[in-house]
Amino acid sequence: MEIIELKQGKVSTFKLQGRLDSNTSQSFEKRLLDAISDGIKNVIIDFKDLDYISSAGLRVILKATKTLKREDGKIMLCSMQDYVKEVFEIAGFDSFLPIVPTMDDALKAF
Amino acid sequence: MNTSNTFSFELRNHLSELTNLGEKLESVGSALGLSRRCLFEINLALDELFTNIISYGFQDQSEHFIRVSISTDCNVLTVVLEDDGIAFNPVDRIPPELPCTLDECKVGGLGIHLVKNLMDEVAYQRRAHTNVLTLKKTIEKT
Repeated sequence: MEIIELKQGKVSTFKLQGRLDSNTSQSFEKRLLDAISDGIKNVIIDFKDLDYISSAGLRVILKATKTLKREDGKIMLCSMQDYVKEVFEIAGFDSFLPIVPTMDDALKAF
Repeated sequence: MNTSNTFSFELRNHLSELTNLGEKLESVGSALGLSRRCLFEINLALDELFTNIISYGFQDQSEHFIRVSISTDCNVLTVVLEDDGIAFNPVDRIPPELPCTLDECKVGGLGIHLVKNLMDEVAYQRRAHTNVLTLKKTIEKT
């Protein structure tokens, strides 16, 4: 999996490419939590080029969301393929995670 | 690997085999003309079960193989997963209560919850020293 990190003003975007599973979730978790401990408070995860996610990927998103909440930060998830969004729905995560259709929608939240 | 719409392969008990699983399923998916969504759902269910098996199933350090057999009958796809790990029936596990808020959210049992939702049927059998999981799903073609 490729992770491209981009800073736009006060917002950090993590663009995911490929597959987020038990194999790749640890490196993503480290990137994300390192950025948060470096003081990043506003995070967008761009799912546009993510082809695959498993429960290991959901755990990372959940952990980052909880960590950001403690730091008074905020996370937005955008541009999911419909079958990726379905996994968040089946898990019940869509009730408390902000999932929006486009990057523009995500940027507007900050 | 293919005789009249039956596919089978083996995976070693190592997380890196998830990549191999994904590639094998890609080729099964194109042979059967499965839709992207359908292929994704099958991959996710097998990923969760495989990850469970290799995380909890083996108490020794030796190499084990998990056998995957996929067949179709009309529009029903059947996947059989077999491993020689300790007896473990994921089907009986109590489903997690789905979280309503971030603070309530715990992730135990989430993988099995996904499997049960993505597949039409999940059945477990212990045969001699083998765990046999049989999954069924009505397939959508492209």
